[in-house]
Amino acid sequence: MNKTSWKSQLTSSLFVLPYLILFVIFLLIPIIYGAWMSLHNWDLLNPVHEFVGLKNYAKIFDSSSYLHNLFFDGLKHTILFVVISVPLLVIVGLGLALLINALPGKIKGFFRTLYFIPYAVSVSVVAIIWLWILDTNSGLMNEYFQKLHLPAIPWLTDMPWAWISIVIATIWWTIGFNMVIFINALNDVSEELYEAGSLDGANRWQRLIYITLPSIKPTMLFVLITSTIASFNIYGQPFMMTRGGPGTSTKVLLMNIVDEAFKQRQLGNAAAMSLMMALIMIIISVVQLRVSNRKE
Amino acid sequence: MKKRKWLGLAMTAVLAVGSLAACSSKDSSSSDGGKGTKITYWAPFSGADGPRMKNIVNSYNKSQSKYNVDLQIVPQNDYYKTVDLAFSGQKNAPDLMIMHTDQLTNYAEKNLLKDMSDTIKKNGVKESDYSPTAWGAGSIKGKQYSIPLDIHPLIMYYNKDMFKAAGLDPNKPPTNREEFVADAKKLTNESKKQYGFVVPTLWPNQFIFPTVFFQNGGELMKDGKPNYNSPEGVEALTFLSDLVKKDKVSPANVQQDGEVTLFLQGKNAMQLNGPWMMEQWDKAGINYGVAPVPQLGTKQQAVYANGHNFVIPASVTDSKKLAGISDFLKYVADNTMEWAKSGQAPASKAIYEQNADFKKMVQQPQVAKEFDYAKFAPRVANWGQISEPLFSEVNLALLGKKDPKKALDDANKKAEQLMQK
Repeated sequence: MNKTSWKSQLTSSLFVLPYLILFVIFLLIPIIYGAWMSLHNWDLLNPVHEFVGLKNYAKIFDSSSYLHNLFFDGLKHTILFVVISVPLLVIVGLGLALLINALPGKIKGFFRTLYFIPYAVSVSVVAIIWLWILDTNSGLMNEYFQKLHLPAIPWLTDMPWAWISIVIATIWWTIGFNMVIFINALNDVSEELYEAGSLDGANRWQRLIYITLPSIKPTMLFVLITSTIASFNIYGQPFMMTRGGPGTSTKVLLMNIVDEAFKQRQLGNAAAMSLMMALIMIIISVVQLRVSNRKE
Repeated sequence: MKKRKWLGLAMTAVLAVGSLAACSSKDSSSSDGGKGTKITYWAPFSGADGPRMKNIVNSYNKSQSKYNVDLQIVPQNDYYKTVDLAFSGQKNAPDLMIMHTDQLTNYAEKNLLKDMSDTIKKNGVKESDYSPTAWGAGSIKGKQYSIPLDIHPLIMYYNKDMFKAAGLDPNKPPTNREEFVADAKKLTNESKKQYGFVVPTLWPNQFIFPTVFFQNGGELMKDGKPNYNSPEGVEALTFLSDLVKKDKVSPANVQQDGEVTLFLQGKNAMQLNGPWMMEQWDKAGINYGVAPVPQLGTKQQAVYANGHNFVIPASVTDSKKLAGISDFLKYVADNTMEWAKSGQAPASKAIYEQNADFKKMVQQPQVAKEFDYAKFAPRVANWGQISEPLFSEVNLALLGKKDPKKALDDANKKAEQLMQK
């Protein structure tokens, strides 16, 4: 008995091992290294890295430093995107899941796959597709608008359209993931509850509010938190679709961090900015967890 | 049951090893190994120009047996990151590498590049064999840090069919501002959504705006300070934004690559872009012409350019290797016809002044015409970052959201703040 449990322990550890190795190599070590970097005046081309303590962090909060503008302007734009996109990612994801679940068996699989396909393509492909569709002067969308005698919309060169376009492209790209998770959660809701509900005279809407939503609450929270984190990491869509324009209105925090690291070559500053960003994301996730658990 | 367990064990082990192996395998496209002193050579040619450079290196390796040049192509987007890591000692640095002209100052100032003067003298690479503009880019404070491969300035592409349809001579593209605006107006037909010159609002304004600025006799930097809002700059930006607002030869709200899309659709008659666009037009089968950029500014002919140069990291001291590098560079100077096929104009006089085949090409001799008056990015470290506010403000002005003067004032202020750090 003892022997088997030793063996099964070994087996299970071995199953975790590949992930553990990757986690240590690609996450733990870089995070620690990044924290170490953020305490230094780390110019990529300078072999001497002077230790400066928390000075890089102080610069972020010093309003006369360019780093201050770089960080907070970028953060403002990123948060704006998070605030618009996260509710939509959750609601549209859930809506699609409900819609697909209501379909008869065979078509269900077809549409599930269809909506999931965009999730599998890379961000550059997504950006190019939407650049073509949304082109102000030769794009598909404005072509339709013209046929309907509507004015052409400057999708990527004017506010608030630039943000709307980025959000649309993001939803189209990533909604499949949230949808599949919601579909699985919906399938786990016990049929008996619905039956009991119908017997008690609950209509569709009431069944959704009082049975479905409470039953999938843990999934909802999971989707909410992962969507928030994913939206915070927005980079590719504005980088390729608007280049941060018009002006710098859609220049998000990660774009500024990448510029600081590889255009300015100031890895110390960039690492400090990244860690500040990570801290903000952690705080927001914890708040989301707390707020939703309090109601229990 | 037991069997399955072992299978599971084996699978996990394979997975673990596999994932490790995937991390360590390095993707390098080196040319075939040979004998002789090995010279590692890095280049960012991950596009259509890559095979051209490979051909040059292969034929050099076959032509002699003393040296073996090992070309390693690093993807364009990661090139300077990789180079920086090599210089900071975290990766093995190459013996020879390609560097863009606008990057030279940055690396030379930090003493990371080798002064090539001695190497040049010993091995018969001569200044007089290259375009003076291109050679001059590498001489900084009396030292020679680079040997040029090519210059890629802004050039003008135009749609010959559209010229014919508008009653213009397709072999006489405009050469100055008046002709340019007049032709553009004739080529514009708003009802057909057809335009004379679609004004880009983002890339490649990094080339277009400085070109008009230089043609007005202005300087982007003066006495080490940004000079964006000088009268020459304001005039240049006003001219470009008026093409949209007043002359109406361009639609408003042009997005990234919007002018390229319209050019490909035959709805944009003229466009200013780099020589690297040639391949895309050829593939699309457009009947296009190439010409030097017209003098759009008020004072002089000038054009903004960048270039590819060969540099040697300061850490390379092995005299055998250095001799091999100069031998290779001498060979390249005489054999860059292959390079010209990618659309670029080599900076070696043996090609652009003397080679008969080169002169028969369509685009490349037009590019070479601009060599004498081409100008590069200002000599400051980190032009990339100092120019960032400039181009986001130019974007706002060309989208009609800001007055040109106000935009350039703001850009200047932001750039000054960046320089103070």
